Amino acid sequence: MTRLTRRSVLALSGAGALALMLRPATAQAGAWQRLDAARELVGDATPTDGIELELPLVSENGAAVPLSFRVERALDDADPVETVHLFAPSNPDPLIAVFHFSPLAGRADVATRVRLNESQTVIAIARTASGEVMVGEREVRVTTTGCLMVDDTYESANVFQTRLRAPGSVSTGEPGKVLSMINHPMETGLRTNSSGETLPKRIIERVEATMGGEPVLTAELNRSVSANPYLRFFVAPTQSGTLELVWTEDTGETVEASAEISVG
Amino acid sequence: MFSKHFRRGVVVAAMLAAFAGPASALSEDEVSVLAGTCANCHGTDGRSPGAIPAIAGQDYDILREQLLAFKAGEVEGATIMTRHATGYTDEELDALARYFSEIEP
Amino acid sequence: MITRRNMLALGAAAFVAPLAMPNILRAQGSAGRVVIVGGGFGGATAAKYIKRRNPDIDVTLIEAQERFYTCPFSNLYLGGLREFESIGHSYEELTGEYGVNLVTALAEDVDGDAHTVTLSNGETVEYDKLILSPGIDINWGALEGYDEAAAELAPHAWKAGAQTQLLRRQLEEMEDGGLFVLSAPADPFRCPPGPYERVSLVAHYFKEHKPNSKILILDSKDAFSKQGLFTAGWQSLYGDTIEWVGLSDDGRVVRVDAEALEVETEFGMVHRANVLNVVPPQKAGFIAERAGVTNEGGWVPIKASTFESRQVADIHVIGDAAIASPMPKSGFCANTQGKVAAAAIVASLAGNEAPAASWTNTCYSLIGPDYGISVVGVYEAVDDEVVQVEGSGGVSPADADADFRLREAQYAVGWYDAIANDTWGTVPA
Repeated sequence: MTRLTRRSVLALSGAGALALMLRPATAQAGAWQRLDAARELVGDATPTDGIELELPLVSENGAAVPLSFRVERALDDADPVETVHLFAPSNPDPLIAVFHFSPLAGRADVATRVRLNESQTVIAIARTASGEVMVGEREVRVTTTGCLMVDDTYESANVFQTRLRAPGSVSTGEPGKVLSMINHPMETGLRTNSSGETLPKRIIERVEATMGGEPVLTAELNRSVSANPYLRFFVAPTQSGTLELVWTEDTGETVEASAEISVG
Repeated sequence: MFSKHFRRGVVVAAMLAAFAGPASALSEDEVSVLAGTCANCHGTDGRSPGAIPAIAGQDYDILREQLLAFKAGEVEGATIMTRHATGYTDEELDALARYFSEIEP
Repeated sequence: MITRRNMLALGAAAFVAPLAMPNILRAQGSAGRVVIVGGGFGGATAAKYIKRRNPDIDVTLIEAQERFYTCPFSNLYLGGLREFESIGHSYEELTGEYGVNLVTALAEDVDGDAHTVTLSNGETVEYDKLILSPGIDINWGALEGYDEAAAELAPHAWKAGAQTQLLRRQLEEMEDGGLFVLSAPADPFRCPPGPYERVSLVAHYFKEHKPNSKILILDSKDAFSKQGLFTAGWQSLYGDTIEWVGLSDDGRVVRVDAEALEVETEFGMVHRANVLNVVPPQKAGFIAERAGVTNEGGWVPIKASTFESRQVADIHVIGDAAIASPMPKSGFCANTQGKVAAAAIVASLAGNEAPAASWTNTCYSLIGPDYGISVVGVYEAVDDEVVQVEGSGGVSPADADADFRLREAQYAVGWYDAIANDTWGTVPA
């Protein structure tokens, strides 16, 4: 649903503009309005469409729900999107993650997997350099199919094993798809073991992608990101070089991976 | 959570208040729906054609006690019946016991 | 729930008119006409149970196959424990004893407004109420390289019949020391424990006949049904024959080369198989889309109390095609949903409210011929959504002894006999 901004009203001519202005104010009782952190982020701006958020309508396993978002506006625009915040309002910690984009990323287009405590409306909020705000929302029904009956989130034996897949070569300015994953329990600090002791929080809190020393994408992760954090994003390099990823754990420990990308 | 157990309780109370005489909270129709869930393993009408025990025409008291014992986890050697019986109220199990006891084996 | 029947039973002083006026025109004297598409666990059960409740209702069952082969227990055939014909069922009881009109044809289109179904033989059938129980269709092309031609080389065997026999032949022809690769999909899909029972029984077959062979499961999930029980069973019975690679260890298959019997995973690993079984992404049987009852995800949203479509009136959808989560997509569930839909439809045709819904599910899996495990759920409708009854259900205990596993394996066979008899009237051999 498109909000009326000054820009969009001025773009319309005569009768069209008048008709829109006389249209009753859309209730836009968006879920974002009921979440303090989201309202603060939006501030005085009037949010528009412009970010598409996708999650399955029904999820059989709340521990790993696929999520992706895509901002229409290209990152080489004069007023590009700088950040995207993801919220799961009904989770103990509603802020899922924050993504920081620079023009080298080509597109603000990310896929990951998240934990959803229960059925709820997930929210994505994009902010541009000038303070323009776009909101996308998606309602997800979370059930645990009776057949799963699994309490624990998956834990790989190989913590800190990383995987990185990037295109060997791209055409100049053409965004190339990058897949990344690191094995890690993303321990929330809310779980207890069989003896009743609380397992301490331990998460990957940051993933930084750079190329030639320049930032591509930085992701700040919270504990609503699923175990074994998976990130699919894009990179649009202007010259050949090495894509470098650094994962930082909340202990300060880091691990790296890299891939060569040639541009031609 | 407003389960059907709560709603049924309210309906029973209302009906008891409105009408004199004994009131069954479960209609014939509802019991037949509940009984349908048993047929998958115990056969249509509880006349099992295979390894799972037949329940058609079994004694009402025995069936009722057995179902309640399954629900309480008191049957040694039970494999799945406790996991099923815990899905029904005592009243529903009682109605099921009566339903199957009245079927010709 | 106050129904017309129990109000009369209580001797209510005032006669209460039917709670809902039938909103469809029917031929005078007719109790109503129900058409059912699909003669599997859902459709055949619905047909029988409608007739049991009211034999005067006209019931037409449309099923393309003359004989129905079940996916449940098809893994036993693949493992060499059963003959193929033992999982086939015919419709004699339905037509002979219950008076169901059986039409052997494929339903090709549904007009929800006109209340008609168009068949492959050119006929059009009219309905007052329609039940669609079409199972699944493969989502061809959703997995790169996996189309109908590919399935002839790397079968899915996820719709029982020729595909199952093809996979069995391939396993028989495989040389000892070969590798069987199974690609398991992300949720939702038909029969959550199915792929894991399949590799269990193929491992059994290998143990007996091709002991140097190996099995690899590449999974698009990190968690699967009864995972702890399967993993323990595999170790106990088959040592290290079976290797499972989950999503977070790069188990997700993104491309199939059926000619080469190769699959490529997300992060670029290529695995070559001697026998390749791809269980691909799925969707509701195509007739559901034609009828306009599917959502953008390809499955059918329903109202839990009656399993009526949320999108088109007078069409009920049961079995794998329906979104009934947390009920899994299983033959057991299709059968129990068929009974609830039958009760709802019979009530509706008589102008009554549907009785309260109740469902249960038991999925038996055989890890070996003498080693059975199970998962149970009991469900009810709350606010027109399916929910699990609190405190009910669960999986077999992790620490059960060999006798317990043996009895569950025996009960699994007893279950199959009972449900086949309940659905089609099949009498065990």
